[in-house]
Formats: sequence, structure tokens, C-alpha cells
Amino acid sequence: MEKTGDVRHRIQVRRKIPVPREVVYEAWTDPEGLREWMCPGDVISATATLDVRVGGSFHITMRSKERVHEHVGTYQIVEPPAKLSFTWSGVDNPNEITLVTVEFLDHGNSCELVISHERFTNADIAERYEMGWGTIAAKFSSYLNENLNRAQRPA
Amino acid sequence: MVEHRASAELDSTFFALADSTRRAILRALTRRPATINEIAKPFPVSLNAVSKHVMVLERAGLLRREVKGREHYCWIEPRPLREADEWLEYYRLFWEQRMDALEVYVARKYRGSRRRIQHGKDR
Repeated sequence: MEKTGDVRHRIQVRRKIPVPREVVYEAWTDPEGLREWMCPGDVISATATLDVRVGGSFHITMRSKERVHEHVGTYQIVEPPAKLSFTWSGVDNPNEITLVTVEFLDHGNSCELVISHERFTNADIAERYEMGWGTIAAKFSSYLNENLNRAQRPA
Repeated sequence: MVEHRASAELDSTFFALADSTRRAILRALTRRPATINEIAKPFPVSLNAVSKHVMVLERAGLLRREVKGREHYCWIEPRPLREADEWLEYYRLFWEQRMDALEVYVARKYRGSRRRIQHGKDR
């Protein structure tokens, strides 16, 4: 199969935060700040080195009890305090390059964060895909899995 | 985990799922295994076209086929679907969790900086 276009599988997470966007932007670009919030859940500690400028790279290490997750990437868009975009890939899976775009929407004393995480693949039907396709795939597969589980359950 | 998943496999899963006829074929197969003739019946396309769709699904590992005499029996293979789902769900949870933590962090920082400004003014 000859592959031509880029296909996007996209996850979008939105969050309103009652803090001015400058403060939120700083939390993404200051390594001390980033390591504070990059370690939720089972992550015990995180370290970050960030070279926040277009073409600059970052390295984030998150340690949990079981393993170490290391992520690297390069900044593509740096527009303080409105927008950041960077490639994102796991050190143990360098072939999978994804793109994270963070928009800091200004609402005066509060800020709305919009994180889009896109996975690029090549396929010859790119034009048939549109944004939100990832969600459709997820919904469809969980629909199928539900039906399968029902079918596999003994009567 | 997600990091170990070969991206080429995920690509072919998403590619296969991008077509509505192929999704309908899979949906029909969740009810029971079927021959290619049985699969083709409800579709207004040729047996040949359905056969090609079945091949795409098979290559993506979403469908398995067994040839018995002249009949090709097909059934659904759920594993790749679960894994495609896993990538999306992994990163959704990943960012949601970090947004929770970010919210707490910036709120604390912002309160701290306002207090300092307030304190500065008082003096």
C-alpha cells in the first residue's frame, strides 16, 4: 500500500483554571514548575530540562515505583503566554513521534487550557480523516468490545 | 504498555477502521462468524469489493479467516482494537491527571505571589 498523507489521531483535553494565563504558561516553561505537576498518580518524582525556544529541546523523566518514563521533544511553536507546541516521544519508542499543542486562552483572571495531542501516521486516505477521528475510533472499539464481551459471556 | 506498541500496527488498525463499510463488516461479525458471501449480502457493493475490505481488515489483524472447502469463514479479532483504544485512553488519562496536578500547583503559586504583592504594599 503506497502511503502519502498524514493522518491525525487526536486527543483533546480542555481545562479552565482560575489563574491568569501568564502564571499557567510559566508553569509549563519553568523546569521547577513542570516537575511539580508532571508527577501525579503513581509517579514519585519528575525532572525536566527545557530549552524553551523554537527548535530547542526538552527532556522529562518521570519515575514511578515500577519504571522510568522518559520523554523528549522539540519545541515547534513558542508564543508566550498564548501557545506552545512541541513534538513528544518516549525514549523507549523513538519512532512514534507525536505532537502536543497547548493553547492558553485568556479569560482575564482565569485561563482555559486546550491540550491537543496528535499522532501522525502516513496513509493514503488522509483526506477522509478529520479531527476527532481518534475519539470516533475509541468509541467504536469500545462499542465492539462491549458486544464481544457480551457474546463471550456464557449464557 | 503503550510505549512498546509498534506504531505500524496501530496505523493499520486506524486505517482499517476509517472506512464505514469495514466498520459495518466488523459490527456484523461481533454477532457471529460469517462467510464472505454472508458478509456481502447486506451491502450494495460487489462481492469482490467486500472481499477487498475483508483483506484490509485481515491485514490489520482485526479479522481472521479460515478456508473450509469453497467457503471462507471470518471472525473478528478484538486485540488490535483494544490496543488502539489503549493509546487514546492512555494519553487522555495522562493529560487529565496532569491538569489536575497543574491546577493545584498554579493555584498555590498564584496565591503565594498575590500575598507577596499584598505584603509588599503594606510595608
